[in-house]
Amino acid sequence: MQPNEMPGKFDGLRIFVVEDEALVAMNLEMILEDLGCTIIGPAMRFDRAEAMVGGELAADAAILDVNVGGHEVFPLAARLAEKGMPIIFATGYDQSGIPKEWHERPMLQKPYTSDDVARALAQALPGKRPGVPTGK
Amino acid sequence: MVRIDFERVFEALSSPHMVVDRQLRYVAVNAAYERVTMRTREEMIGRHLFDLFPNEGESGRRLRSSFERVFATGEMDSLPYISYDIQRPEEQGGGMEQRYWSAVHTPLGDGEGNVAYVVQNTVDVTELVRLRQAAHLPFRFGEIKLLERAQEAERQHSALLEEAEDFRRLFQQAPGFIAVLSGPEHIFTFANDAYLRLIGGRAVLGKKVRDALPEVEGQGFFEMLDRVLATGQPTGGEAVRLFLQRAAGEEPRETFVDFSYDPIRDGAGQVTGIFVQGMDRTEAVKTQRRQRLLLDELNHRVKNTLATVQSIASQTMRSARDLESARADLEARIVALSKAHDLLSAQQWANTELTTLVRQELSVHDRDRVRVDGPWLLLDPKTSIALALVTHELSTNAAKYGALSSANGKVSVNWRLSERQPRDLQLVWTERDGPPVEAPRRRGFGSRMIERVVSGELGGTYEAEFSPQGFACRINIPLNA
Repeated sequence: MQPNEMPGKFDGLRIFVVEDEALVAMNLEMILEDLGCTIIGPAMRFDRAEAMVGGELAADAAILDVNVGGHEVFPLAARLAEKGMPIIFATGYDQSGIPKEWHERPMLQKPYTSDDVARALAQALPGKRPGVPTGK
Repeated sequence: MVRIDFERVFEALSSPHMVVDRQLRYVAVNAAYERVTMRTREEMIGRHLFDLFPNEGESGRRLRSSFERVFATGEMDSLPYISYDIQRPEEQGGGMEQRYWSAVHTPLGDGEGNVAYVVQNTVDVTELVRLRQAAHLPFRFGEIKLLERAQEAERQHSALLEEAEDFRRLFQQAPGFIAVLSGPEHIFTFANDAYLRLIGGRAVLGKKVRDALPEVEGQGFFEMLDRVLATGQPTGGEAVRLFLQRAAGEEPRETFVDFSYDPIRDGAGQVTGIFVQGMDRTEAVKTQRRQRLLLDELNHRVKNTLATVQSIASQTMRSARDLESARADLEARIVALSKAHDLLSAQQWANTELTTLVRQELSVHDRDRVRVDGPWLLLDPKTSIALALVTHELSTNAAKYGALSSANGKVSVNWRLSERQPRDLQLVWTERDGPPVEAPRRRGFGSRMIERVVSGELGGTYEAEFSPQGFACRINIPLNA
């Protein structure tokens, strides 16, 4: 099955990944690599993710697991949103597990396919091309 | 300005009056009452009414229930006609004297909305009754008619009361909670057993609702009562949440009720009170909520597990040499995951024990060739699943390429906990007496997964050693991290 998006559309995009399950993270990495993206992380523990968010994070978008080892990811999402970073949530719950203020953001419901990830990226980065810096 | 001494007025009233407290003990009597009962106030004050004037029969029961009604409802009650014999004092010949009475019982408040006393105005109608027996005397006809009317009224009243008593009992024992509130301050005049259970058995009769249930202030219910009284419009709700003191001395607890407030009107259509009824739905709502939580949690776990299986499947397929080995690897990995779930499920998803977990994964191999040795250690669910998958990969590799692929090779799994806090789990996997091994040129999915799980997910370290003696690895994992 061909992805809906133009091949190469996401080439060179740097995607920050927060996902606490090693196997799920590996799968997402594989999908992102196939789409031509570079992975920042993955951060699999909350403290690690927090440190990365607080540091010089050079990423074009973030894919955040909603629950990271028992911590909700929303405080980190808020800090990234402040920096103007496009955010995609990944969750095993449905939308009811996500606070209302985040409902506009694209969501990946586990388990997700490569097509789902491409769609979410396109939604999070409308008209984005690699190399274009993220402005406010 | 004229100041009247009401104690003197009470004393001077020509009609017999007395006052009793809630225990039916005499608090005050006037001179007329002393005369009619042939007792002095010294004999009566502080004594129990039924000790002085015992009556085990129907009349005693009627008198008692009239007092109880007044204390319970705060409303006046009358006994138009009652036969009640009293004992004649010794100096007047002793024995019982047959008497007939007509009594009115009036509530006396304590100023805070509670009925503290009842005033009884009683009239000795014995003479009138005797006159009835002389009914042939024409000039007494009017008085006899009056008495007959009183007796008729009493019979009707009794019938009504009995009916009311039946209803009262029904209400009292009804499964739903029922209370009746009276007047602008919503004074409790009735509360059934279920209502008392709801409010922790507090004595509320005769009290204003705001005084009786202070913790309900600010939760909107008193305002609703005020509105029902003002507008005459009924109101209510389903599964409404409130905090209510459910037992004496306890903090208010979360409670859910279905309830309705209906106006009670007098003959002229004026709203005089509120009929409160409903059901305590706390348990039902909480059960529903628990089920919802369980379902959400189950769905979450299933989705996460499916995501794990999906990842195992797609990466097994990708790294396999051929379809047949992909099928075998995939099957074995899903079974390993499933067995870890079984262990967790047996402990209500609280934890697993490391020895059990490792032994289970190695159980397919000959017991003599596998040594498992380490202290008892409970692992949380996440670590359990992760270590089950790691053990599975190590065990599979040992069987395919390592010590368990030859006739005499052995595997030992040892672990200990670090001395320093916070504790680390230090696990060593050693293969001996198998074929010599060397590091593979390309790392397969299995070893990448081990590396990822241990260093990424569990925040630990993984060191592998390939030597002529066999494969060995060292896994360090921080616990309680």
